[in-house]
Amino acid sequence: MFKIWQIIKYEYRRHVFNKRFLFSLLSLPIMVIAMALAAFIISFFVMDTSPVGYVDRSGVLSSPMPLDIEGDIFNPVFEFLPYRDEAQAQQDLESGQIQAYYVIPEGFPEIRDIELFFTDMPNWTLQNQFRLLILQNLDTFQNLDPQVKTRLQEGSLFTLATVDESREMREDQWFLVITPIIISIIFILTVMTSGGYLLQAVVEEKENRTMEIVITSVTPSQLMTGKTIGNISVGLTQLVVWLIFVWVGLMIGARFWPFLSEISLPGHIIVVMLLIFLPAFVMVAAIMSTIGAVMTEMSEAQQISGLFSLLITIPFYVTTTIMSNPNGTLALILSFFPLSAPITIMMRMAFTTLPTWQIALNVVVLVIIAAFSVWLAGRAFRLGMLKYGKKVSLKDLFGKRELT
Amino acid sequence: MPIINVHNISKRFGETVAVDNLSFAVHPGEIFGLLGPNGAGKTTCIRMILDIFEPDSGEISILGGPMTDDKKNRIGYLPEERGLYQDIPLERCLVFLATLKGMPEKSAASKLTEYLQYFDLYDVRDKKVKELSKGMQQKAQLISTLVHDPDLIIIDEPFTALDPVNTEMVKDILEAKRDEGKAIIMSTHQMNQVEELCDRILLIDHGHLVLYGTLQEIQDRFASRDIFVRPRTPLPAVIEGITEIRQMNGRQLLVLAEDVEPHQVLKTLINQGIEMTAFEVAIPPLNEIFIQVVKKQARDEDV
Repeated sequence: MFKIWQIIKYEYRRHVFNKRFLFSLLSLPIMVIAMALAAFIISFFVMDTSPVGYVDRSGVLSSPMPLDIEGDIFNPVFEFLPYRDEAQAQQDLESGQIQAYYVIPEGFPEIRDIELFFTDMPNWTLQNQFRLLILQNLDTFQNLDPQVKTRLQEGSLFTLATVDESREMREDQWFLVITPIIISIIFILTVMTSGGYLLQAVVEEKENRTMEIVITSVTPSQLMTGKTIGNISVGLTQLVVWLIFVWVGLMIGARFWPFLSEISLPGHIIVVMLLIFLPAFVMVAAIMSTIGAVMTEMSEAQQISGLFSLLITIPFYVTTTIMSNPNGTLALILSFFPLSAPITIMMRMAFTTLPTWQIALNVVVLVIIAAFSVWLAGRAFRLGMLKYGKKVSLKDLFGKRELT
Repeated sequence: MPIINVHNISKRFGETVAVDNLSFAVHPGEIFGLLGPNGAGKTTCIRMILDIFEPDSGEISILGGPMTDDKKNRIGYLPEERGLYQDIPLERCLVFLATLKGMPEKSAASKLTEYLQYFDLYDVRDKKVKELSKGMQQKAQLISTLVHDPDLIIIDEPFTALDPVNTEMVKDILEAKRDEGKAIIMSTHQMNQVEELCDRILLIDHGHLVLYGTLQEIQDRFASRDIFVRPRTPLPAVIEGITEIRQMNGRQLLVLAEDVEPHQVLKTLINQGIEMTAFEVAIPPLNEIFIQVVKKQARDEDV
């Protein structure tokens, strides 16, 4: 146990206390923050703050109560100017004195066809403020049907449901689609990082020619256990740090966009994620160890592992196909092919309801493949040691020949 | 009780016989030379002792039985293929390797300080291993072989890449370890070092045992019937009991006749009033024995 612990510590320390690791750790959040900042700055500079006109034929804004809101640099309070007719408003729109104008029809609120005329689409803040202005002045109509009022205040909410009602999708719950995909991306980056480090760690002994010293100090299983745990811990550190960043980002973001605070993941998705991702993690780690064990040089090992990385990330390249037909042949094939399974399943779960038997079968396949990969890694490692300094061929690896 | 007892071990790789029915023992307090031409099976033999390979047949007892995890901590090994972790500071690398031998980090660090100072590497302990010279790396690797105070030390070509000063340093430390009662197996092609250091040797070729015994025994076995003298006064043209006199690098080589012993010649020379600064029985250098034996082996195989 002492020696395994020493190996774990060594593997963990040399990656985590390394500038390169810190850089890759921080690069993702820094990139996200920079992009968000750039989006802010751009929207700030292109924001049109000129007044907005309206032609009110219904009388709702005949003597309007002004909006009681405070603006900030990203959300300025717009000035709404009344117009007697559309011709005048159109003229001012064309001369640039106003950026848009609304026409409220006679018979509002029973007739709800409020029209908006513009040359460039006004932003969401402006449209929201005009909606608030109208809602605030609804009391002008003294005999308004309370039902109509409620409908106006709450707006519409589309809910799509599957025929058997096993699943619903509300238009304000788009994050249920986005979150599994984002988590898949973070997961896969973590797996790749750990796998890459593990690959490096296994090839290193051969490249540095330290194998004989190490193997006369510890057993092969102690060595591999230490290396695997050490490097997976590096990946998990990265995962945890990124999740903390996401969490902090959501906390901060929620102060500006309240809907962010509603983001949550249903329990069953989390359970499926764990069931899929854990064996997938073991499988990828074992595959990388196998490659590391049979190769003698880092550059070769990286080429081969690149091929596996491609197979793992293939679902990302066919996102649109999976999205438009999550139960199609391609999606099915990819979700039963062990390497592409984790991401495909997460994507399909985002867009459709997976039958339980499919998920169960996927998990079983992954667990079996993961166990097989671990066995193969052990065999490759023993063979790699015997063929010290030489490559192990596929024939050696899968052949029936005895190891010694 | 021997530290290593090898009994009739054999190992094949495919069609090639690497080691063939080899037996020998290594005792505490001796430096044991494992010799042989390239490809003789020395490294395979060492790897079997260290349990990297299993022998196809035969038995190896190490530190009183089969290899165990705990015994690995009592062995120091300097392999033929030198290597250290290149991308980390020297001291961290050595501490890590010492902990793999079961040393707690703290005691490893303090013991390493002593060794780094002895081998003149203390000032470069924070440098990355890859920044060190070949000789420095070799010394560092020797430190990692010795730092956990092993009972059995196995070193393969310990003197390559070392300058004469460092070579002496390494020799001193090996002799000190022998005097402490440690067993040392040294594999090398530098026969002069074997003559200086080894108590007993094993010479193998094509996996077979060719010579095995104390250095003295083996040299005696190969001693020719020659005497070297360095005379101050000219030697007479004919000396009783000598069949031939040859000039060699300022010395004279006297070839003894059958049934004549060296002390009889010495007596004759003194009686004849010859003054000498040297009179020695020509012991063949190990190098010559090595070449002679290996060539004979090759001839025998051809036949």
